[in-house]
Amino acid sequence: MSRRIPIGYRFLAPLLALLALLVAYPLGYSLWLSLTNRTITRQEIAFVGLDQYSGLLSNAGYGVAMRNTLIFVVCAVGIELALGLLIALALQRQRWARDVTRAFLLTPMFVTPIAVGLMFRFLLNQQLGAIPQVLDTAGVTIDFFGPTLALATIVAIDVWQWTPFMVLLLLAGLESLPRQPFEAAKVDGASMWMTFRRITLPLLRPVIAIAVVLRALDAFKIFEYVFATTRGGPGTATETIQYQIYRTAFQFFRLGEAAAMGFVLVGVVLTLVVVLHRLLMRQEAAT
Amino acid sequence: MIGVWRRALIATAVVVVAFPYAWVTLAAFKDRAALNDPSRLSFTPTLANWREVVEGRVLESALTSLLVGVVTVGIALVVGTLGAYAISRFRSGGAVSRFGILLSQLMPPAVLVVPLFLVAFDLQLRDTMVAVVASHLTFVLPVVTWFLIGFFDGVPREFEEQAMVDGYSRLQAFRRVVLPQVLPGIGAAGIFAFVLSWNDLFYALILAGGNTTTLPVKVASFNTFRGVELGAMSAAILVSVVPVVIACFFVQRRLVRGISGGGLKS
Repeated sequence: MSRRIPIGYRFLAPLLALLALLVAYPLGYSLWLSLTNRTITRQEIAFVGLDQYSGLLSNAGYGVAMRNTLIFVVCAVGIELALGLLIALALQRQRWARDVTRAFLLTPMFVTPIAVGLMFRFLLNQQLGAIPQVLDTAGVTIDFFGPTLALATIVAIDVWQWTPFMVLLLLAGLESLPRQPFEAAKVDGASMWMTFRRITLPLLRPVIAIAVVLRALDAFKIFEYVFATTRGGPGTATETIQYQIYRTAFQFFRLGEAAAMGFVLVGVVLTLVVVLHRLLMRQEAAT
Repeated sequence: MIGVWRRALIATAVVVVAFPYAWVTLAAFKDRAALNDPSRLSFTPTLANWREVVEGRVLESALTSLLVGVVTVGIALVVGTLGAYAISRFRSGGAVSRFGILLSQLMPPAVLVVPLFLVAFDLQLRDTMVAVVASHLTFVLPVVTWFLIGFFDGVPREFEEQAMVDGYSRLQAFRRVVLPQVLPGIGAAGIFAFVLSWNDLFYALILAGGNTTTLPVKVASFNTFRGVELGAMSAAILVSVVPVVIACFFVQRRLVRGISGGGLKS
């Protein structure tokens, strides 16, 4: 009997079974929850169709969280890409203490995110932090966690932790590029900027595509920095989707609503992947 | 000229990365008075914060995190290695399985956590290691599989075909010929996966309880920000950060190929 199952599927079976149990089943359960009015305390659970979803449309807080999350993802990933590209280009030419410098600059992406959040909350704290203290002696007072700057501060924390991820992938990409086009450009006397625009960037595009998609998907899951620093505040300035789902489900115990929020997020993430992929691939074809 | 800017950029990056580490390391040895006055540069080092870390059961949490990580990674490596081999070598499930792995990798934890919580509650598994390990497998398993597909793709088919001509069975060829080739990849995937599990706050915060507080949950509990706790918090942060930073030195070289699913080699 077992002989009839192709060998590949016998190797694959444990993985499929675990993913079905741990990912597919919860996903289905979550979909069903999002169609009910389930809360933790409610005794009789009713099927409410798409009410939870239409409720989200009129939920102002949800809109704010979605907007904050999108702003966060776009700003953080954009800055990380630009900065990561610059640092990768610089590191490519680095000779002195090469391996140590690289290894050290990559460490932030491994650090426990909640620890990163708390470190920066400490560093930027108005009374006890080192950075406001230094700025103070220069006569500048900045409230890093105030209503205007809080989201930017969260972006900055993310940039500290995740620019190394961009550097890692882009540097690998740069070092795997073919030599000839660069030598030809040199012979033709192309300027550094021209070489970068016309040769490096187009050749690097597939790597940039992978790096941006992976990073953006991860950035949507932002939770720890908000949890460590602002808890969504001041007001709703740093309320992000994942944090809002956490609160809806485990502070207000509205499980059905939280599940619906989650599914909308899945939709947004999937759309983004497809759009981003198309966009980057088309540009690749165009150049 | 360009060389100067290049060096300045790298130097700035090194300082920006180093500063938070340095500040927190110093804070872990400062007493209350020194912590309350950040402008003071000199202070007498104290071990009081570390005493608090030991008494605050931070080390028990570290042990819990270690156990959760080891069990999660153990399961993920066995199951993920077999799965990745099937997907890479036999194209089992075709493009669907590769895409499925990627899809589960990008699933936001916020979608999975509510059902996992309810199931754990119904099965009375809340506040047990089982619940935390199961939740960590939801992201570790896809990552490990994705990671290893890239490494299996790099092993030439001829190797195992030759081995089978020489009289090895399919399983023997896998174990004695293919597996040694990807061993470095498996090592890197294991360490990378361990770091992911070690760093998780979201699932552990919801599924773990008093008996199974993992290190990130413990570290988060120092988030009260009374001046008194800053030193202990810094010490606890160091406990969670140092092991992963050391681990990262061992895996960096192989990380690129794994993360990009074999799309990139370094």
